[in-house]
Amino acid sequence: MRNRRGVLGMGTCGLLVLALALPSGSALGQPAEAESAELESVGPMLPPLDAELARPPRPRFSLLPATVSVVPGLLLHGLGPLVAGETSTGARLFLLQGAGLGLLAAGGVPIALSGASRRVIGPLYGVAAVGLGLFTISGLANLYGVVGPAFEPGVAAPRLPPLELEVGYQHVADTAFRYRHFVSVGVVARLRRVRLEAGARMSPDDGNLRARVGGAWRLLGASESARGTADGSALDVEVAALMHRFPTEGFTLGGGEVFLRGRYDMARVGARLAGSFAELGLGLALQGYGYTAPVVDDSLHEQLLATFGYGVYLGRGGPFRGEVLLYYDHRKDDFPGGFKGGSGVPGHLGLRGRALLGEDWGLSAEVQVGSAWVGRLSLVYALGGES
Amino acid sequence: MRHVSKSVVVFALLAGCSLRPAEERALKDLQVGLAEGSGLTVTVEDGLAVVRRLEPGALTLWGSAPAFHVRIAAAEGEPEAWTMVVVRNAMADAALTATVDDEPLAVEAMPGPLPTVKRWRVRLRPGAEARLTVAPPDWEEPKPFRFAALADVQEALPQVEDIYARINEDPSLRFIFFSGDLTRRGTVEELESFQSHLEASGVPLFATLGNHEIITSDVRWHEYFGRGNLHFTFHGAHFTLLDSGSGTVDPLVRPALDGWLEAGREAVHILGTHIPLLDPIGVRGGAFASRNEAAALLGTLARGQVDLTLYGHVHSYYAFSNAGIPAFISGGGGAIPEQFDGVGRHFLAVEVDPAASVVRTVSLVRVD
Repeated sequence: MRNRRGVLGMGTCGLLVLALALPSGSALGQPAEAESAELESVGPMLPPLDAELARPPRPRFSLLPATVSVVPGLLLHGLGPLVAGETSTGARLFLLQGAGLGLLAAGGVPIALSGASRRVIGPLYGVAAVGLGLFTISGLANLYGVVGPAFEPGVAAPRLPPLELEVGYQHVADTAFRYRHFVSVGVVARLRRVRLEAGARMSPDDGNLRARVGGAWRLLGASESARGTADGSALDVEVAALMHRFPTEGFTLGGGEVFLRGRYDMARVGARLAGSFAELGLGLALQGYGYTAPVVDDSLHEQLLATFGYGVYLGRGGPFRGEVLLYYDHRKDDFPGGFKGGSGVPGHLGLRGRALLGEDWGLSAEVQVGSAWVGRLSLVYALGGES
Repeated sequence: MRHVSKSVVVFALLAGCSLRPAEERALKDLQVGLAEGSGLTVTVEDGLAVVRRLEPGALTLWGSAPAFHVRIAAAEGEPEAWTMVVVRNAMADAALTATVDDEPLAVEAMPGPLPTVKRWRVRLRPGAEARLTVAPPDWEEPKPFRFAALADVQEALPQVEDIYARINEDPSLRFIFFSGDLTRRGTVEELESFQSHLEASGVPLFATLGNHEIITSDVRWHEYFGRGNLHFTFHGAHFTLLDSGSGTVDPLVRPALDGWLEAGREAVHILGTHIPLLDPIGVRGGAFASRNEAAALLGTLARGQVDLTLYGHVHSYYAFSNAGIPAFISGGGGAIPEQFDGVGRHFLAVEVDPAASVVRTVSLVRVD
């Protein structure tokens, strides 16, 4: 636990770096227009997103910026919007990329020089993860900024349901374990600044069970249950308890974790990025493995939690609405584990989506790849509806 | 694990990686010790030696264990003749015995150029399969012995002879048990260089590979040092080395591992692998790619009554326990050291008492 302070500190640092890209006067989760009076009661607010940015005239798709955004845009992350004529967006993406590379170097170089010393590795990995996150976000924003105009951008749902239930199927292809088929269930309750979550994955054949119970407290941004015209930008602190039972292999993983997660609507960086958002989070888990007798293990293990991703909102308030997120997750105790071949350091990649297809019903799906392939498809019921 | 920039590049390529990156190496393991040519068919039992050269009248092996058996069949119709058997990386007191259907064959010991290079002439019978045993005469007697545990030489290869010199000062150390990362990238030139520097050691070195041996696109480990996954016995103690160079153990290895654990259940059993199953500094995560795979494997090892786990990968010294099994990380071969740990280059001296089925002591020996 000695690294918690440093790790969480870096999560805040990364979000501040993201916020540097803000146009003046815009900020997290603030409604653009009328409903601010109601929403101020549910959480701290920052100045409103400029109405012109929230609903700008749509830029047109053009082939040249799209091409340049790949080559050499994958290396120079502001190039796509710059060629498209949006200098300020391009400059902000260059700033993000530079900040990402700077943090990556600020974390990575001391790691290399210290030989990954046990005395400094936690905070340094946190810095490096935030740097890699910002670098990735600026790269994906560069692509989205030139491809996005080909589509009508989605918006964050004004109100997420107070209670959401889901049930589905998860398939896991892992060469280290025999389990394959899982029943997936989950529930989310939203009450102003608080979000409560519980979920489980159960394998009927194997008896494998992973259950997670947690909650989140919204530090910044509009409540999910009453966003109104606010965007989805927010900062949450999350806590959770985890239990994962492996009856065939004879052990159980148990632990707790604390996590700081931020979401930033990228329309605040530039009009071309409307409809997309970035996520970044850091945290720490403390876990132990319990084995069936006669094996005894009383060790506790820390785990650095880090995630970053880039997503898009789906729909504009009609019957179809939701979001999709492409992400990296550093944790290695979940079904997908971490990528093999990276000296044990890298985590896994994932693509997660959730969409309501009507007032109450929808689908959520997720694909993850690391040590294993994981795919999940769930039916979602939004109690109280979503708008 | 220190090369962050390299990790970033590697990470960018990871999405296309196989879920079984160690499968090809596990398949290569099965071919180690098999050769045919010059009228001879050679099979090294359990792949515990590499057939380096097979030519008319001469067989050259690289030993991967203190004791091993070789079956050699001379083709029918070939004239009866002496065959020269050269074993490199052999125990200094190794002897060769040869039998056909339990009848001894004529063997003549020849002088070797180094303590770890042994040479014999064997009179093989055409049309018959001879079984050769290369081992110290008392290798099956359960009596106490000591060995050195070492890992992570990498770019410090030019200085590794300091470590061998320190090991040579202690004649009670019978061999070096090496947990991977002999080289920086695993190229042929580096493997050759490692082999050349090893001539300074008075005792043989038995190794598995590490993640650095598989950085090269042309992984030639098996041709030089043999199996990445292997098991041998010495004085009644069981030793297992696992290939964890990809942060995992390939499923092909698991049935063999189960057999090795069963064989060593009542004896002292020491397991070495390069990447620690779980890093004692959890936020660093220099460990298996999947913590759950690691925990499952640790449970298997603990139920198989493994007495000691030895790791490398982290360039420092750690003593801890995993699933109740005493564990040591000893990455002191000279690769970029972990700072602020006050350790430096080092190896472990491990004392084993097979008769009592215990590991008596594990001592840190500093080289710098």
